[in-house]
Order: sequence, then structure tokens, then C-alpha cells
Amino acid sequence: MPMTRQPETQRRAIVRTAVTLAAVAFALFVYTFWRGVK
Amino acid sequence: MATAHHDEHPAGLMRWLTSTNHKDIGTLYLVFALIMFFIGGAMALVIRAELFQPGLQIVNPQFFNSMTTMHALVMIFGGVMPAFTGFANWQIPLMIGAPDMALPRLNNWSFWLLPFAFTLLLATLLIPGGGPSGGWTLYPPLSIQGSMGTDMTILAIHMMGISSVLGAINVIATILNMRAPGMTLLKMPLFVWTWLITAFLLLAAMPVLAGAVTMLLTDRHFGTHFFDAAGGGDPVMFQHVFWFFGHPEVYILILPAFGIASQIIPTFSRKQLFGYESMVYATASIAFLSFIVWAHHMFTVGMPLAGELFFMYATMMIAVPTGVKVFNWAATMWKGSLTFETPMLFAIAFVMLFTIGGFSGLMLAIAPADFQYHDTYFVVAHFHYVLVSGAVFAILAGAYYWMPKWTGYMYNETLGKWHFWLSVIGFNLTFFPQHFLGLAGMPRRIPDYALQFTEFNQWSSVGAFLFGFSQLLFVAVVIQSVRGGKKAEAKVWEGAEGLEWTVPSPAPYHTFATPPRIK
Repeated sequence: MPMTRQPETQRRAIVRTAVTLAAVAFALFVYTFWRGVK
Repeated sequence: MATAHHDEHPAGLMRWLTSTNHKDIGTLYLVFALIMFFIGGAMALVIRAELFQPGLQIVNPQFFNSMTTMHALVMIFGGVMPAFTGFANWQIPLMIGAPDMALPRLNNWSFWLLPFAFTLLLATLLIPGGGPSGGWTLYPPLSIQGSMGTDMTILAIHMMGISSVLGAINVIATILNMRAPGMTLLKMPLFVWTWLITAFLLLAAMPVLAGAVTMLLTDRHFGTHFFDAAGGGDPVMFQHVFWFFGHPEVYILILPAFGIASQIIPTFSRKQLFGYESMVYATASIAFLSFIVWAHHMFTVGMPLAGELFFMYATMMIAVPTGVKVFNWAATMWKGSLTFETPMLFAIAFVMLFTIGGFSGLMLAIAPADFQYHDTYFVVAHFHYVLVSGAVFAILAGAYYWMPKWTGYMYNETLGKWHFWLSVIGFNLTFFPQHFLGLAGMPRRIPDYALQFTEFNQWSSVGAFLFGFSQLLFVAVVIQSVRGGKKAEAKVWEGAEGLEWTVPSPAPYHTFATPPRIK
């Protein structure tokens, strides 16, 4: 049974979710470090 | 390659190294976790062997301290978290009717970071100066003074953190974007809900740990003084930052366990879960509260009274949503048509013993009382009731519950029951006496103790060896179930409900290529 490719809209939504979450995680890391520097 | 035929996958080692299939990666996580449980368990047995008698018998104090530190790191980051991620990989796509995780290549990378991270961590035992020995909490000043092993540990923690955050992103992206048509959020199985909330906790907590250990690293090597009092830094700040990560981490380790219990108890009660929506809201409430209670781990550092009161009452509030959950599990069983197969036995033991851990947690939450209990064996007893009879028992319950779906064969019920009863007896024998040791004043993380603590320590050590060796039965059960036996049906359990039971056992390599429609 070949895998069906995800619809383009779903692919975009997944990437948007992942990039947003990664940005949030990175921002939290930077914020923690920055609070330490202050 | 829009028409690539994904059923054709490499065989042998390359299959496991390059797989992007959620079932393969789930299996990798679960096997990795099992190996780590045995490595961490061996470290626990070194600790218990040394503590069988007062005085120094088997290992030197430095190595003993390394064992307590590494035992925790291995069990938390190598055992419990990867085990739950293994469950997430196997079960979330099956339970929401998705063909795979949303980001399969990222999934592969999330897993393969872990063996390298733990090789690095365990290798610290082989270098001059030995492994990290300041406790898994890495408090300065000890962690600033530690050997090169501490640097390796920091790098290993970074790798584990990246793995966890990537895994969390994958889980959230999968659940939010790939549910089968008709599966609204409030139709999702509880296990999926608890993992969604856990993933948000991971995303918010792990970067904070990464920040804390990065500051530790720069203090050690780059001339900063974040936590070094001699240079104007504040070691207590590390404790605040660490526990801002550390307390949500506790819930990262227990929320998926709640999810597993919420799948198993209705199945073997042959009833719907009592109070589904209240379970969801209780889980979310616990997650929220987990971010505003961190300083209850550090009542004794000398906080302002207002701080102590705030953290005390906030901590006690967690008992409310947790109580809702325990009530709902009991109400699900009430007047149910109960049977007691191994998954149900572990799930019931989970509810009862985790509740004991919850109660001792409430005792520790009372700030003035905590001044007495802090850093004693009472704390050790408390968190092992939460993490062993809580998280680990739920992992075992889930493994027995879904094993026929994974392997295609029923496991050996007799061996499973032996495993359960020996585990329950061994566990309680190990950890119940530790409450008394703590109340009597025995400090944690010491290789030697005063004579009056001998008897309870001996009970505890005997229990630990019984508990540890009875886990070999689980390995036997798994090997038997993988190799063959009675064929499992698609719907393995009479009372089970959910999409995972609509696919054959073992679940085919690809499932739900065409999404099911949920009414």
C-alpha cells in the first residue's frame, strides 16, 4: 500500500506549527540566558 | 518522488538507522528505554548494596555520589521520557487515525540523538575524576567545582533537551494537524490529550534547563559568575531556574502515565471513562500549576515568608485536579464488569500507589514541616512512589496493554502476573521503609549512616534486589511475545475502544493511509 502524500495545505500547516514552536523554544532559551546576564 | 513506494524499506541495521516510520521509531525508543532502565537499575542496586549495612563496604563515597547522580539522570532522561515518547510514536498516529507523525525525518533525528547523549553521559564513569557527583540537580557550587565529567554531562543534557524539544514539536504538529476528519479535540483519546499537554510542558521547560546548564558551563570555563558567589553571583538563582524546569519535568514524567491509566481502566471495567472532559481540564490545570510551584523544592534556602506561603498553597492546589483524576478512575471502576489482566493490575496499583506518593507530596508541601523532611529519605520515598509506582508502573501497564497490537501475539499472562506481584511486593518493600528512615532523620545521598537506621535500610535493600531482578521476567515476557504464541486479534481486549483496535494485530507497517471518518 503506497503512502499517499499529504495535501499541500496540511503540509504548510505542519511546517507553520513546527517553525512557530521551535521559535518559541529558542526564545525561551535566549530569555533564560538573558535574565541570567541582567 | 510523489509515487515512492514506502513499503519497501531497507532491512537489517539500515532499517533502524534510517527509518522514518513511526512504529519503527516507537520500537527504537521503547527498546532504548528498556536498556536504560536496566543500566539505571544496576546503579540503584549499587546504591542499595552499599546501604545494606552502615559503614563503607563496596564503593568509595565519590563513586557512590556518582551513582546517585547518574541513576537519576539515566532513569529520568533515558528511561521514563524515552519510554513515553515510544508510546507516543506508536500510539498517537494509531489513535488519531494519522498515517505517521507529522515530521518523520525529524522524528528519526530526535531518537538518534539519544544513544550519543547517553554514551557521552555514561562515558564520564571512565574518565579521570569520574562521573558527575553533585546530584542530578547539578547545584552549584559543587557542579562548578566538578571534573570534566560535569562538562560531558552538560553537553549530554543539551543533546537530550534538543531531542525532547524536537519530539514535542512533532507531537504537537501531529495532533493539531493530522487528526482524522471528525476527530475534534474533545473526541481525542485521553492518552493523546495528556501527551499534547506534556509536549507543551516540554517545549516550555527544556529550553530553561538548557539556559541554566549553559550558564553553568560559562561559569566553569568562560569566566562568568552567574552562580559563583565569589564573583558576585548567586547559587540560589540556579536553584530557581533549575526548578522552574524541574517541577514541570515531574509532570512531563507523570501526565502520559495518567493518559495510559485512562485508556486501560475503562477497557477492563467495560465502561466509558467517567468524567472525560473533567479529566482533560484537570490535566491542563495540573500543567498550569506545575509552573507556579517550583520553589517548594527549596523552602529551606531562606525565602521571604510571603514566598513560602505562596508556594505552599499553590502546591496544595495541585491536589484538587489530581483528586479529580483519582476520583474519576475509581468512579470508572465503580459497578464496572471488572477483570484483572496484567495491564489492569498495573493500572490499579498505579492509582493506589501513586496516590500514596501524592499524599506524601502534600506533607512535603507544608513549608514548616518541610524544614524537617527536606533532604531526608522521606523525599526519596515520596518521589519514588510518584515515579516508580506512578510513571514506571504505568509504562509497564501500557506495555502489556498494547504489546499484542505491536507484536501480533498475546503475551504470557501467567508470567505477567508473576511480574506484577513480585514488582508490587519488591517496590513497597524497597520504598515504604524509606518514609520511616526520613522521618527519623536519615539524610539522602550518603553512603554511610548511623546505626539506628540499619534495619529499615536492610529491608529496603532486600526489596530493591527483589524488585530489580523481577524485571527480568518482563524481558522474558517481551521476548516470548515477539517470537510467537497465541495470535492476537485486531481488537485484543473485549472492552477496548478506539481506532488502534480497528487495524490488524500486529499493526501493519503503514496504517490509515486513507484517513478513517469519525462520527
